Amino acid sequence: MDLKELYQEIILDHGKNPRNLRKTENFNKDAKGHNPLCGDKVHVYLKLDEDKKVQDISFEGQGCAISMASASIMTDLVKGKEEHEVKEIVQDFLEMIKKKDKLNNKILEENEKTKLMCLSGVKKYPMRVKCATLSWHTLTSAIDNTQEEINSENID
Amino acid sequence: MNIENIKKQFPIFNNKVHNNDLVYLDSANSSQKPQVVVDRIYDFYTKEFSNVGRSVHYLAVAATNLYEETRSLVQKYINAKDPNEIVFTKGATEAINLVANTFGQKFLKEGDEIILTELEHHSNYVPWHYLRRSKGVQIKFAEINSDGEISLESIQKLISPKTKMIAITHLSNVTGAILPIKEITRLAHSKNIPILIDGCQGAPHLRIDMQEIGCDFYAISCHKMYGPTGLGILYAKKKWLEALPPYQGGGGMISEVKKDGITFGDLPNKYEAGTMATAQVIAFAESIKFLNQIGIKNIEKHENELTKYGEEVLRKNNSVTLVGNPKNKGSVLSFTLDGIHAHDIATILDEDGVAIRAGHHCCQILHDKLGLAATARASLGIYNTREDIDKLNESINKCKKIFNK
Repeated sequence: MDLKELYQEIILDHGKNPRNLRKTENFNKDAKGHNPLCGDKVHVYLKLDEDKKVQDISFEGQGCAISMASASIMTDLVKGKEEHEVKEIVQDFLEMIKKKDKLNNKILEENEKTKLMCLSGVKKYPMRVKCATLSWHTLTSAIDNTQEEINSENID
Repeated sequence: MNIENIKKQFPIFNNKVHNNDLVYLDSANSSQKPQVVVDRIYDFYTKEFSNVGRSVHYLAVAATNLYEETRSLVQKYINAKDPNEIVFTKGATEAINLVANTFGQKFLKEGDEIILTELEHHSNYVPWHYLRRSKGVQIKFAEINSDGEISLESIQKLISPKTKMIAITHLSNVTGAILPIKEITRLAHSKNIPILIDGCQGAPHLRIDMQEIGCDFYAISCHKMYGPTGLGILYAKKKWLEALPPYQGGGGMISEVKKDGITFGDLPNKYEAGTMATAQVIAFAESIKFLNQIGIKNIEKHENELTKYGEEVLRKNNSVTLVGNPKNKGSVLSFTLDGIHAHDIATILDEDGVAIRAGHHCCQILHDKLGLAATARASLGIYNTREDIDKLNESINKCKKIFNK
């Protein structure tokens, strides 16, 4: 049954038809991520408004169903959020995918959290966790403007 | 030849994977081990263990004899002229690093050229890349044709007066192409260029005869040859092992050590510094005996038939695209599946006990050339059967179902 938990309908849907798979015009922050082990690549573009709210977020890249779905769901959920809120959501997601049973942030609605929890099936596949986290680490890198390409081999 | 009887000699197949029988299709990565090899390691440690080549006590003498017996067995298996042309290393990677490092040190200077191919595994590229940095040598890549093969001509047209080494694979671990290494060796030698063959995929599956091939260096990975991990072999013509400097310094490789100077030991000790993978070397004798018992001709025949069957089955599956179509092909079936990433395929197949590899298989240059981020690869060994191929195909169909393809 683990396989069904991993490849839930919502994952397959986002994997096949990723939302926000494009390049934001006039983006003001961006970062690249790469998983050399499987060749997954992602480029995250952010447009923050004057109040540091995410006006638009998009991504370009290629990868497995898990990594595409994860990037797609991520971009959907952080749109409209303030920068510090985005960071909190990212932190919460990364902790959940590694060790926690649930999401603790107070920013996302319950139905949004349920959507995000669909990715938790990946926990049982340690080799695949990096597929799910690559875009999230890349988003952090974009926000922090580190100008460093995220290499999934060098992160937890 | 009864494959079921051969398969019974591999204890790994007594285990279940996710409650399924194991269908092991990852032998190009590493092969499974027959019971005799596993037992030999256990017996050596429990009854016969000692370090080799140093002490004169009973156990040390016996262990040294066993260690050298493997060297002689390997010599005969690959038809080298002299047992001292067999150097044990920690892997084929170390064997290639040994050659690149010592040959580079002694013979290469800025502007010299090395020819590799686009099929090379990273272990036959990265060691040469170091020379690009340290010595300023140039690396040229012979290009594949549309079938994923390397022709004699593709090498020929890169040769210049500056070419100092040709280093090529025997059998591609991605497209399965078997290179015309005899012809390429003749070509290299006609221009006085030494040649190294990366035999990681060749040695476990093909008859290899150093006199017939005539190459200067041949690197072998023992764990792909039904042997233990942590062990590789470098075959090198004696003239090279005599001419090249030692690779690593330490115990066992010296002749005399004084405060003001050191002289190095004779072959093969010169290249075997420190305590070697003793148990693995001794157990590898059982791998060679196992291969001899089946006979390399039988192995070639079985794997060839099975590869053809695999190609046939996968071609019939209309979502599958095979990577490469070489005329002379080893037992590697790399493929892509329409709209499904290789890592998703590998995870879904694994649930059925079908073990394949997904990714770039340490061949990024080739994957870039093919425009593929990742491929799925089923690779065969002596224990595989037609049923394994059928199970692979069934699981591929399950992938398609999950992804609604």
